[in-house]
Amino acid sequence: MTQNLTIYVVDDDQDVRDSLKVLLEFADYNVRIFESAVKFLAADLHGIAGCLIVDIRMPDMDGLELQDELLKREIDLPVIVITGHGDVPLAVRAMRAGAVDFLEKPFREEALLEAIQRAFRHTPRRNAAKTDEVRARLEALTEREREVLNLVVEGQTNKEVARVLDISPRTVDIHRAHVMEKMHAKTLADLVRMALSIQRS
Amino acid sequence: MPELGIAQIANADALFHALIHTAIDGIMVIDEKARVQVYNSACERLFGYGPNEVLGRNVDMLMPEPYHSEHDGYIARYLKTGKPHIIGMGREVVGQRKDGSTFPMYLSVGEGEVGGKRIFVGIVSDISEQRARDKRIQELQGELLHVTRMTAMGEMASALAHEINQPLTALLNYTSAARRMAKNFGEPGAKLVDILERAVEQTERAGLIIRRLRNFIEKREPDRSAEDINKVVEDAIALGMAGFRDTGTKWILKVEPGLPQVFIDKVQIQQILVNLVRNATEAMSGRNKRQLTISTGLEGSDVEIAVSDTGTGLPDDVVSRLFHPFVTTKERGMGMGLSICRTIAEAHGGRLWLASNTSEGATFKLSLPIGNVGEPVK
Repeated sequence: MTQNLTIYVVDDDQDVRDSLKVLLEFADYNVRIFESAVKFLAADLHGIAGCLIVDIRMPDMDGLELQDELLKREIDLPVIVITGHGDVPLAVRAMRAGAVDFLEKPFREEALLEAIQRAFRHTPRRNAAKTDEVRARLEALTEREREVLNLVVEGQTNKEVARVLDISPRTVDIHRAHVMEKMHAKTLADLVRMALSIQRS
Repeated sequence: MPELGIAQIANADALFHALIHTAIDGIMVIDEKARVQVYNSACERLFGYGPNEVLGRNVDMLMPEPYHSEHDGYIARYLKTGKPHIIGMGREVVGQRKDGSTFPMYLSVGEGEVGGKRIFVGIVSDISEQRARDKRIQELQGELLHVTRMTAMGEMASALAHEINQPLTALLNYTSAARRMAKNFGEPGAKLVDILERAVEQTERAGLIIRRLRNFIEKREPDRSAEDINKVVEDAIALGMAGFRDTGTKWILKVEPGLPQVFIDKVQIQQILVNLVRNATEAMSGRNKRQLTISTGLEGSDVEIAVSDTGTGLPDDVVSRLFHPFVTTKERGMGMGLSICRTIAEAHGGRLWLASNTSEGATFKLSLPIGNVGEPVK
């Protein structure tokens, strides 16, 4: 179905790599797997197209460094970051650096395929109409909710947000849930994406 | 004519006087009835009483209860049984000053005879400072232990979550692939799809439990302040030495004075240093040359601390995974030490690495950014 588009998987865990290959091949994608960022960069990347799924924490070169390197080499490959650490701050950094999405391990097939679809649709330019929509949603937030949103998309954990705003982590949870609802964000990645689109416009 | 010695010029009285009153330690002499006969200048400084207030009176006035009331009984018992409890040796006791405050002191007592009368000679030194130092080390150790446990728990949960999430991810992927395949099986496949969907849900549930566990085991909030790294290193060595005093290891401390301050959580940084110092000491056990060198210095915009040992170095297969969790060369180690240390260093914007590794020993280095509080230490 997508002859020219290949999904490149870079993960230092062999079982995660192998299982992703099996699953994505069942979903009719071409898949190539690499055990490290270094091995991936050593491959022939000439005219590469598709999307890259990369683990954020790896020895030698991590996901963020790989993103940097791709940027340096002017290889425009949409990146989906995956993490087993629940490293929200790192994931937010990855998205700021241009990652299309991030997924916390273990993730559902549906979430993964959706992220891949988004990656393939990925265009660097943001749709102005959509930005207006997001802006309107942002207007609907209360002052406190906006503070919570700002801190969350900066990569702060709930506990850090609670400390900065001097409220309980439980209250942060509630605010956060309201923010997600009002912003129509299904995941934290959605939220970060929206915040970034506003900042960039 | 040969020069005369002091003992030959001075009369015995003058020499005795000089001896007693220039002594740094308190010296007193009591008779059989515990009455103070000699009370030197050092005693005045220790107890706050002048000689006129003490001479001729019972020495028990210099002791807090219960010794104050029991002292006459101790002497009586000794005179009756001849069994010494303190005489001829020394022990730590408590003294009481004129203002009623007490202090720990080391007292040694000897027995003698002057003019047919039995006397007891007591030599007293104040050990408050030594005690305060011991107590401080104990407090530091307690604090360190607590932080170590908390950090270890946070780190364990995080490492465990990661280790378990990997197979869960693979499991979820394979199950999803099987579910996809089952969809092609028509009617019998529908049931299989349903079963595999349930398996997917259960795997997700396991992932959720792991996530909650990690959130529950809260990592300790760092408590940072501007610190003099040399002071932190000295404290860490005092802590690291506890329990290793008798291994015959030579300690060399080379600190560069006047280093800029670093903005750190002191206890956490000490945790790293204590770990390095202990690892180094253990690495040298059984070696002839056991020398541990700790140095500090400025390296660009970082303060750098190096810990070197004269052990046999680390094997290659360990070096590549040295900072991974659950890697250890120790029989009873958990392999969390260096992994935690590196996490702490990185959380401070610093680095921790193996700087050199030969068969003659290893050097670990910790660097910490000076940051925005680069004021030199006064």
